[in-house]
Parts: sequence; C-alpha cells; structure tokens
Amino acid sequence: MSAQFTLKLEEKFSTLLSRYPVKRSVLVPMLLFAQDEYGFLNQEIVAEIARRLGLTVLDVEGVISYYSMLRKKPAGRYHLQICTNISCMLRGANSLFEHAQQKLGVGPGEATPDGLFSLEEVECIGACSWAPALQANYDFYHAVTLERFDQLLSDLPAGRAVPDTPPMSHTEHEVQVLTRRFDLPNAASIDTYLAHDGYRALEKALRQMTPDSVIEEVKQSNLRGRGGAGFPAGMKWSFVPKQSSKPKYIVCNADESEPGTCKDRLLMQNDPHQLIEGILLAGFAVSAHQGYIYVRGEYRYLIEILDRALEEAYARGYLGKNILGTGFDFDLATHTGAGAYECGEESALLESLEGKRGIPRIRPPFPAVVGLYGGPTVLNNVETFCSVPSIILNGGQWYASLGTPRNGGTRLFVLSGHVNRPGVYELPMGFPLRKMIEEVGGGIVGGKQFKAVIPGGSSTPVLTADALDTPMDFDSVAKAGSMLGSGAVIVMHEDTCMVEAALRIMKFYAHESCGWCIPCREGTSWLKKTLDRFHSGGGRREDIRLIEELAKNMLGKTFCPLGDAAAMPTISIVQKFRDEFEQHLTGQACPLEGRLELELASE
Amino acid sequence: MADSVNITVDGRSLQVRPGTLLIEACRAAGIEVPSFCYYPGLSLQAACRMCLVEIEKAPKLQTSCTVPVAEGMVVRTATPPVVEARRSMLEFLLGNHPLDCPVCDKGGECELQDMVFRYGAAESRFAEEKRHIPEQQWSPVVYFDAPRCILCYRCVRVCGEGLDVHALGIVNRGGHSENAPNHGDHLECEECGMCIDICPVGALTSGAYRYKARPWEINYVSTICTHCGDGCKTTLSVRNNTILRGNNRDHSGINGEFLCIKGRYAYDFIEHPERLRHPLVRKTGQLVETSWEEAIRMVASRWKEIPDHQNESASSPAFGVIGSNHTTNEDNYALQKFARVILGTNNIDHHRTADFPALIAALSAQQHAAAGVPDGPACLARSRDLAHAAAILLIGNNPTVQHPLIAWNIREGCRLRGTRLYVIHSQQIPLLRQSFRFLPLRAGQEVDALAYLAGELGREEKLLGRTPGGREITSESLLDFRNRLLAEKDVIVVFGDEITGQAVSLLVRMGSQLPGHTRYLGLSDYSNSRGAADMGLLPHLLPGYCAITDPLARSRFEEQWKSKLLAQPGWTAEEMLAAIRDGRLGSLYVVGANPLKKQDPLEYRGKTFLVVQDLFLHETAQAADVVLPAACAYEKTGTVTNTCGELQRLRKAMQVLGPRSDLEIFGHLAKAMDAQLQPSRPDEVFEEIRQLVSGYNVPLSQLMAGEAELAMPINGFLSPSEFPGNVSSSQDHLFTSGTLGRYSQTLNIVPEGKTYKPPDPC
Ligand SMILES: Cc1cc2nc3c(=O)[nH]c(=O)nc-3n(C[C@H](O)[C@H](O)[C@H](O)COP(=O)(O)O)c2cc1C
Ligand code: SF4
Ligand code: SF4
Ligand code: SF4
Ligand code: FES
Repeated sequence: MSAQFTLKLEEKFSTLLSRYPVKRSVLVPMLLFAQDEYGFLNQEIVAEIARRLGLTVLDVEGVISYYSMLRKKPAGRYHLQICTNISCMLRGANSLFEHAQQKLGVGPGEATPDGLFSLEEVECIGACSWAPALQANYDFYHAVTLERFDQLLSDLPAGRAVPDTPPMSHTEHEVQVLTRRFDLPNAASIDTYLAHDGYRALEKALRQMTPDSVIEEVKQSNLRGRGGAGFPAGMKWSFVPKQSSKPKYIVCNADESEPGTCKDRLLMQNDPHQLIEGILLAGFAVSAHQGYIYVRGEYRYLIEILDRALEEAYARGYLGKNILGTGFDFDLATHTGAGAYECGEESALLESLEGKRGIPRIRPPFPAVVGLYGGPTVLNNVETFCSVPSIILNGGQWYASLGTPRNGGTRLFVLSGHVNRPGVYELPMGFPLRKMIEEVGGGIVGGKQFKAVIPGGSSTPVLTADALDTPMDFDSVAKAGSMLGSGAVIVMHEDTCMVEAALRIMKFYAHESCGWCIPCREGTSWLKKTLDRFHSGGGRREDIRLIEELAKNMLGKTFCPLGDAAAMPTISIVQKFRDEFEQHLTGQACPLEGRLELELASE
Repeated sequence: MADSVNITVDGRSLQVRPGTLLIEACRAAGIEVPSFCYYPGLSLQAACRMCLVEIEKAPKLQTSCTVPVAEGMVVRTATPPVVEARRSMLEFLLGNHPLDCPVCDKGGECELQDMVFRYGAAESRFAEEKRHIPEQQWSPVVYFDAPRCILCYRCVRVCGEGLDVHALGIVNRGGHSENAPNHGDHLECEECGMCIDICPVGALTSGAYRYKARPWEINYVSTICTHCGDGCKTTLSVRNNTILRGNNRDHSGINGEFLCIKGRYAYDFIEHPERLRHPLVRKTGQLVETSWEEAIRMVASRWKEIPDHQNESASSPAFGVIGSNHTTNEDNYALQKFARVILGTNNIDHHRTADFPALIAALSAQQHAAAGVPDGPACLARSRDLAHAAAILLIGNNPTVQHPLIAWNIREGCRLRGTRLYVIHSQQIPLLRQSFRFLPLRAGQEVDALAYLAGELGREEKLLGRTPGGREITSESLLDFRNRLLAEKDVIVVFGDEITGQAVSLLVRMGSQLPGHTRYLGLSDYSNSRGAADMGLLPHLLPGYCAITDPLARSRFEEQWKSKLLAQPGWTAEEMLAAIRDGRLGSLYVVGANPLKKQDPLEYRGKTFLVVQDLFLHETAQAADVVLPAACAYEKTGTVTNTCGELQRLRKAMQVLGPRSDLEIFGHLAKAMDAQLQPSRPDEVFEEIRQLVSGYNVPLSQLMAGEAELAMPINGFLSPSEFPGNVSSSQDHLFTSGTLGRYSQTLNIVPEGKTYKPPDPC
C-alpha cells in the first residue's frame, strides 16, 4: 500500500531531487516535509517515499527511528517542546516542564485529549541565552515564565502568539567583525549586504587572487574552526587534493546542537549573505562547485531566511554559472536535519546528508579527501565560514592581530546560565574569562557565589574559580584543563547541584549517542542510570569510583568524539566536586533539590 | 610498491603484505586480538572496540581492524591499557546482557562467553536492572532475543552485503538501537539462517535447533548437502541417530560459512513420516509392504523371465534404466555397470539438467586444437574461482535461487574484488544488481546472442527491438556489450540450460576468442547431476564421456568388467517412456528419479514391469510394481561431483531403519540374478572409478580431509556431433528441491516457499 503525495509535497520532492547528485539525499528532508504535511509519518507515506527512492521500508524505518523529530504517531496541533538541557535547567526549566505537565494534564510524549497540545521534553534547541525556552512546532518562545506559558496556551490556538527572534547582545568590550551589519535595517537582505562590503571579498578573490592565495590568507589569519575542535581552517582546506576524479564539495555545518550554543543561529538570522560569501570563497579556494548548508531541523525559520538569501544571490549572479563573469561556477543549497546532535559530527553529518542514519564514518580517510558522495569535502562551522569574507577583504594579518597568537580574530561567545546578562557577544579571542562573566555577563544572578563554569559547551570539562583568569582562546583554555569548544560559556552558581549537572549532561549524551559503538552506547546509558539513582539518594559509596571509572573507560576508546564529550565533563565533575557526591550518600534526596528557581535575565 | 612491510608486534618482527589489516597480520602470526564486529569479507565497522591495541606514536589506542600495516609500525597488544580496554568493553556489554548461558543455545560456543572467560569482567558492578524484552519469532527458522544482541552488525552485513537480501537493519538510536526484521515483526527473506550462523552470541537462534541440545552432547559429521548442484559442505550435528542441525562448522571447504536454507535446514526430509521404510510390491493392484528378501526375489525372477534379456536388439529392448542426479558417484557408476553388464542394455539415462556431454566434447575438441598450449586443459572453473574472477559472463539460469553458492561467490567477487559481471538474460534476475553490463533479450534468443558475440553475421537484427519488459535493444548497446566483453581477459563463462547441444560448441568458440584463459561452468540441478553424466548414466557414453561406439574405449571397460559391451547406443529417457506407452519395454528400473512426475501414470501402469528405488512414494513409485526403499545422501558414504566438477566426500551421519543404500541394493539384485557386481564397497568402487574414469584420478589426501578436488574429464574422445536427449532444468528454487523438497518440513513451513515468483521478463 502506498499513498499519493499532495501537490505541495510533489513540488518539494522534485525541487529536492534536483539538488543532489544522489537521489537518496532527499530522504531526511522529504520525511520531515511529509510529516509537516500529514502530522506524522504513516505507513503508506513511508512506503511511498521508500518506493520512489528505491529503498526498502526497513531502511527508511531505520532512518526515521534515528531522528528525534520524525514521528510515527500523531502529535498535538501545537507540539510544545520544552528544553531542559543544562542552560535551560539552570534557569528553572525543570519547574517549567513540571508546570506544563500539570497544566496540560499530560505526561511527556502525550497529547491533550482534544488533540490541541502535545508535550515533549527536548534537548538543547539553541536558545540557551534566552532560557528557559520552548518551541511550539517550529516557533521559538524565549524566557518562558510560568505565566507566559499559561498565556501561550490561550494565545497559540487564538493565533495571537508572537514567536521570538533572538537579539544580539552588546558590550563595551565587543569587537564587531562578524556582527557589524546585524543592527542595520533589513540586515538579512542582499541590498543591505551589498551596501556594506557585501560580496567584495568574493570579487577580490575571483578577480585578483588564486585559490592558493586564498588558502594562504586564511592560514595567515589563524582562523580556527568555531564548531568545537578548533582546527586551523586554512590547513584543513589545504588538505583537499588539487586533482580529484570525483566532484568536490563544501559543506557548512549549521547543525548547532552543542548544549549551551546558540550563536550560528544569530549569524544566519541576521547576515545570511556573509555565510554564503564565506562558502563561495571556500569553494573557490579548493575548486569545488557545489555546496550544502546542513541546518538542524529545529531551525526551520532560518532555513527559510537562508533560502531567500540564496534566491537573491542567484538572482544577482553571485551563485550559479559563471559568477561575476569570471567563469567560476558554484551552486549552493540548504539541507534540513531532523533532530540528532550526532549529525553535527562531521562524518555523521555527511552520512545524514546522504540520506542515512547519522552514524559517523571510519577515519582516515578524512572528509577533506573522501567526504560527501566520496568526493573531497571541506566542512566547516557557520561561524568559521562567516569569518572568511572579512579575512579576504582585510587580510589575514589584520584578522590574526585581533586575537592572541595562533588564535586569530573574534568569536561569538554564548553566555548562559547564572549570569545577569546572558547573551551572545562578539569578543576578541583570548578575552579573559573572569571579565566575561563579571563585566560582559554582569556578574552572578542574585549576587550569589560563583561555583563552576563550562567554558566551551557541555562537552568540555568544568572549570572552577581558580581558572577564572584564563584567557578564552583554544590554547589557554586547553592549558587550564578544558576546551574552548563551541564558545558556549555556561555559568553555575552556588545553588547548582553538580551531581544534577553531571546527570543532566549525561542524560543528553545518552539520548544523543548514535548507538554505534559499545563504550558510548552502553557507557552513556549506564552512567545516566547510575547518576540518576545517585542523585535521587540511592547512591553507594563505590558508585563514585564506578562513575569516574566508567567515564574513563569510555574516554579515548569510542568510535567518534561523542563518547569523549560525554566522558570529559563527567570525569571533571567527579574529580572537582567529589565532596558534593559524598553529600549525596545520606540516602536522602539531593541537598540542593529545588534551588534552581525559574530565573529570567535581568534586562 | 614493496611486496612486504616490516612491523613489530609485541616485540616480534613480522613481514606482512602491504594493505593487510593489522588485526589480520596479528592473527596470522598467532597473536590473539579479540573482535566482535570485525568479520573477514564484510565491511569494516570499528564498533565493538575489542580490537584496540597500542600503536607507537598514536595518541590513543587504535582499532586494529581498521588500520592497515605500515612500514616500521610498532604495536603492542597486551599492555595494561589494552587489557583494561578489553575488560571494560566486556563490562559495558554485560551490563545489559542476560546471564542465561545455561539455557542459551549458544552456551558452550558463544564468543562473548569465551571472551569473558579469557579477559574477565564477569562480576557486574552495575546496580541497575537489565533490559527485559521478550524473545521474538521472526520466521519459522529465525528467533531473536534482543537483550542478548551485542550489536556487532554481522547479521545485518551478511544479509545485506553477502546475500544482497537486506532483510535486517538497525532501528532506533543510542541505547535503544535494535536489530529489526524487514517486515515490522517478521522476516520475509531467503530464510538461509546465515544471520544465525554468524551471530557471535545467542541473539539469533534457529527455530530448527532451539533448546534441542547442548553443543557438547553432539557428534559432528561433515558431509555434503544433498540439494542443489553447488555441493556445499555441511556439518551435521547428530545426537542419538538424529540430525539436529546443519552448519558448516569450521568454515572449511568450497563454501566457507555459506549455506542456504536447504543446506542448513532441509535435511529434515530424512525422518518424514512418509519416508519408505519397507519394500512394497503390487498385489491385486495394491502396493503392500513386504520383506527385502521377497522384494528382491520378485524383481529378479520377473527380470529373468523377460526374454532375451542378454541379447537385445534396438527394436525390442528388454530393459530400461533411469538413474539419479542425487545418488553418489559410486551408486551411479555401479548402476550403469549393472545395466550394461548384468541387464545387458545401453538404455540408461537420467534427468539431464545441464549439457555436460556437449561441454566436455567442445572443450575436448578445443584442447585437441590447442594441444601444447600451457593452460589448455584447465578450462573448467571451480566455485571459488568466481569470487576471484576478473570478469564473469552469465548466460541464463537464475543462480540466486538455483545456485545459491555460485551466486554468493559471484557477489563476493563483485563486492570485494571488482569482478565485472556480464549478464545475458531474458529475466530480471537478482544478480542484475551486481552486473556491469546487461544484454536483455527475449526468452529463447540466448543462442542468437552468442552467435552475435562470436561474430556471426546477420544475428544483430534478430536481437534488436524491444523486450517484453520494454527495454530497447539497439545496435549501440549490443556493440558496447560485445566490445567490453571481448576486451576482458580470463573470463569465466557460466551458463544454464538455455545453452545446450550445438550452442555449447558455439559458446566455447566464442569463449576461445576472448583474451587470456577462459573457463566454463555449466549449471546443473541436484547434488550429483554432474556425477551422473561423468559416471555414464547416458545411453551413448561410458563413464568419463567415452563414446560407446568407440571400440578402443569399450575395450578398456570390457577388460576391467570382464564382459562384452553392446556397441550400439541405447535409448534416452524420453525414448524409454515412449517405448513403455507403446508396450515395447520389458522392464523399467528407476533409481532415485521421478520421470512420471509430469506424466499421466495411467499411460504407464501395467505396460511394463516397473521397479522404483527411492525414498518416497512419488508419482513414479505409485505406478510401480516393486518399490525398494533407498537410503539418502546423509545415510551414506561415497562421493558426489558438483556442478563445477568438484569432487567431494559424503560421510554417513545416521541411518533410518529399513531403507538400504543403493549400492547395497544393486548387490542384492545382482546376486538374485545369479551374477556378481564387484566391487561392492563404496571405497572400492571409488578406486575403480579413479582408475577408469577420465578426470577422476585425483589425489586423495585433500578429499579425505574434507576438501574438494576438481574432476576434469576432458579427454578428446568424444566427437561433438553426438548428443541425443533432452536437457532441461527442473527450475527448483530456494524453497524446492525435487521430491526431497516436498518432504522437508522446513521448506514447507516457510511462507516464502508458497509466495515465490520467478523474476519478471526483462
Ligand atoms: C558529537 C559532535 C557534535 C558536533 N556538533 C557540531 C555542531 O553542531 N556544529 C558544528 O559546527 N560542529 C560540530 N561538531 C564538530 C564537527 O565535527 C566539526 O569538527 C566542525 O563542524 C568542523 O568545522 P570547524 O573546523 O569550522 O569547527 C561536533 C562534533 C562532535 C564530535
Ligand atoms: S562514540 Fe560510538 S556510539 Fe557514540 S556517537 Fe560515536 S560512534 Fe556513536
Ligand atoms: S535468514 Fe538469511 S535472508 Fe533471512 S534475514 Fe537471515 S541472513 Fe537474511
Ligand atoms: S543479532 Fe547477533 S549478529 Fe546480529 S547484531 Fe546482534 S549480536 Fe550481532
Ligand atoms: S536552549 Fe536549553 S540549553 Fe540551550
């Protein structure tokens, strides 16, 4: 049995098919669009999609069940997805989620009897600085108090609810490179962009530079990857073989899912052409002619913004054939994910882009040599690409000089958790951590005591007060025993239970482990269970050692870095807060239970 | 590139072929490196992390299953971090793994159990509940116990990559990841049980074997499957004279780990309640049970009454004999000798499913022509050659269902070694998925295609146009196929019953135009079709394809058999049946065959004295005057020859009470006819075969060790013009196997057998 596509879906299908050299790539977007259309993926539509793509139903089922956003049962008309991940949790998301359950009279994953609302606890949705946050279908609502939540329940069905778009935050310390056009009227439009340096770097490169000199400039700039690993971008580009029998690709990682991170969102929302230009420059540098922007499925509104920008760029001849009359061809398209943190990992992302389960690949070979569809592929984070036009325009030296040695430029730091002014700030590399918390972030909320900070997204080890003088660049943070990661600085004050923090972080990794390898699949789920029992008062003394050892047994032994990402914060929390673990051994509930009140930003 | 690189493992220097995976290099040197997910021949996973080792200069432990050796590499496999990593992987696994080894089918031969024993971690440090999921039945033969699954993905890969069935897959994510069948809660597949066999633990178990026995109570008998022409080696697990399981336990022989549903499960006809256990004789119209003595006496006395049985002339023959394509070489050899010497007739034939006489004749003629060419005679392909071939040309047949092992090997070549598969076919057979070039045609045009490829003029026009499935055949597509093929070196040509008689000569002529060393493989049904032809169950050929009309050949056999042989070729099976209908045949002796299956038995009843020797009361047996219950291949020793010509040994696994082996029955009958049929023991008969039958004088040591030897009876004796008789495949597929298949419980309960449809025309 198979179903007919609606006209709209039929159109989507043929547009999508034209985007990729391999049919299967349309699978994940197609499933998500079909779900938007029908409310859920019924068996007939699954069979029809499988048939059209020449796949088995089992193969498609494997894909559907991998991605969190895809569902095989109907949801409510308004599917309320409340984030309880670490940044939102610090801001009281647990009480919001409790409240929502009571108010709606449903549990997680359930729908109200009238079918109007369904409720789900979700992992980080990229609204960390505006916590606690939720999504109603694809719309974001930030800083959701209990009152605002109740209001939403009546506003949504009445069509009165106005979704939030996140603001860029400013500070006297900021150095504006990436964000300098953000506050212009119509910032996202190509006209604004063109009026403010837009596509001038591309012109310069195409007319005055060679691909090698573009790579050289980027090397000079000391631009390091903003996705997490901090790998020098110019060096990565130089690994792409000059000659290749297979087409080369540029892939932009806009999967932004590292808990605490919501910066790429602002870059795409406010200046999509900057990203497009950055990707074009990479394409020119490695002689690729096709690119994809892989955007996390939750960021639907950003895909729409990007698609509009792409259309403009095509219309003005910045994309397509013979760009600016120079003979350079480049095509670029967006590609939606469907809910999977692991698909931010570069090789899993490529699998996902090829329409498969997001299972990482064996490396070597690295994507620069064998990547998308087997071709050499440059894969970088949104922010990394966005930095390139300024580098080409103003020179690598100039960019390098903005930061610290080997750490060029500025980056977007995401402040979340217990600071008075959480937000996304553009600061030079090497900006001191203490100053970031105290001056940029306005200090700890309620005048409370600082306890710990996660400096680079939830995958990085926590730092304590003794590390506050660390300059925030890749090398210095590494020296302090952690990682700069995605630049997500999550601040925790004295009322934070570190066992609970460890538990919440582990819960995330257990949810997001792709399940491929034994140590990560089993390790994260045992650690989650053990931490859960421990936090709720059932801990045994030997569990403290067990938790640390299990995490160490994962570390360095998993198939991809997700296992390390789960292990590292855990090990650091056990080691640095062993006393808090011991305080949990009373057989009682957590001593700090219920202290994380719903807290909103002070301005 | 250098032909070896030097590496050091645990202080030992090793020389290894470049490109070898470190895990293989270690294992070849006897250095133990554990693994679950690594499996030779299947894609790399690096998922279980059991094979982690220390490599000097690497920042962390490396998976030896993914790292190729490199010059100067220094590796340590037993340092404390490595040992601890292994132990911790096992600890992770055991967290959810039920410790029900005492009731698990796999207990005693489980890789997880072995590893825990060797590397520790038996003590659980986890306080949480394990996962509980009830066991699922996915098909009559496949059961799945989810908590036992360690997600090594072997089953998924063997089914997808190895079989190209893709019936298994992983669903969900993280700790919820689970192996799943292709139809929600059940499987629709080939039911081959390969997934069960390859599972390192007891997660997939066999419906046939579950809870029946513990490995240590079992006697293992390695023998050969009795179903199709591929002749897979199988190990039968036997307890108390009952076969409990079939698998190729040590992965030796021509099939490695491979077995299809028939090899793995369809031994179960053996104890079917309808299996004949007593001789039957017709009394007042009814077949009634009798003793062996009476039955033998009755046959012999009737045969003796038939006038002139020693003195036959072609117009009024006394006897006809139809032999079997699943009895042993020894049985077949003895039967034709019985017919020619004791019954004094050349009216002997069998159901021919591939034209081996024509192939041997054509190759012999070619050998004559190419005398002195170094690789002249080695022109038959062995089954494993397919997995290493540069190019294969397949004409007709549907190996996926008719020759599962041949198809498995072809796919292996295509998958791992880039074999280019050329297919000429009138149907959309599954192997098209592996094909490099496809020449579609209308059924019956195979010979035109061959002639076209051989360069005969005027053939192209016949092929052009549209196939029933709507494929356009153009001059360009034909030319492309021909040009590509003719540029291939060392091609293996595989053909079905679409190519017989003169077309086989044409095929060999075409093949000899290809560069390099062309080899051939004729596809025949049943376990010993090739052996039946080789042993001379043919009206015009003595064993080893010696023409009966050739005085020189005849005299060799006459000398050994101490008997004069008739020089006149006998009747084919079709001619014998026609003679019965006309009342012109005194007696027909049918051994292990069912020639009346598609006939109206009434046309034959009472028109001849019909003796049938077989396992079941099939159509022919129902029309018989005497039925002699015979033993099957699993109850015998002896040899069989597969479709490639590979000779292998059967070993007796068990015996059902009542039936007797064919060879033994021939002996009784001979004696009752006041004659002698010597030798009478299978090994002695085999010695005689080795001496007399061209191509069978193979070395014995390999054979005795359970390996195969290629019999190459190419002899130049046969002139390619004489090949009477019909050749046609019975079109058995994965879920049928002639009469035997009808009595196999497994083949009858799997639903795929009922729903099987041949491929669509292309
Ligand atoms: C589990 C995991 C998740 C990741 N998620 C993201 C992500 O959401 N966005 C991102 O840009 N990089 C992510 N990365 C890093 C990418 O693998 C990759 O290093 C990065 O996109 C490369 O771009 P860059 O060099 O510009 O940082 C992730 C890595 C891992 C291991
Ligand atoms: S570490 Fe293993 S299970 Fe975890 S996400 Fe990576 S591959 Fe998947
Ligand atoms: S029985 Fe054979 S065909 Fe069926 S799932 Fe297992 S391996 Fe695949
Ligand atoms: S069922 Fe067996 S073979 Fe398949 S993944 Fe699980 S453990 Fe491996
Ligand atoms: S949006 Fe909740 S942690 Fe980021």
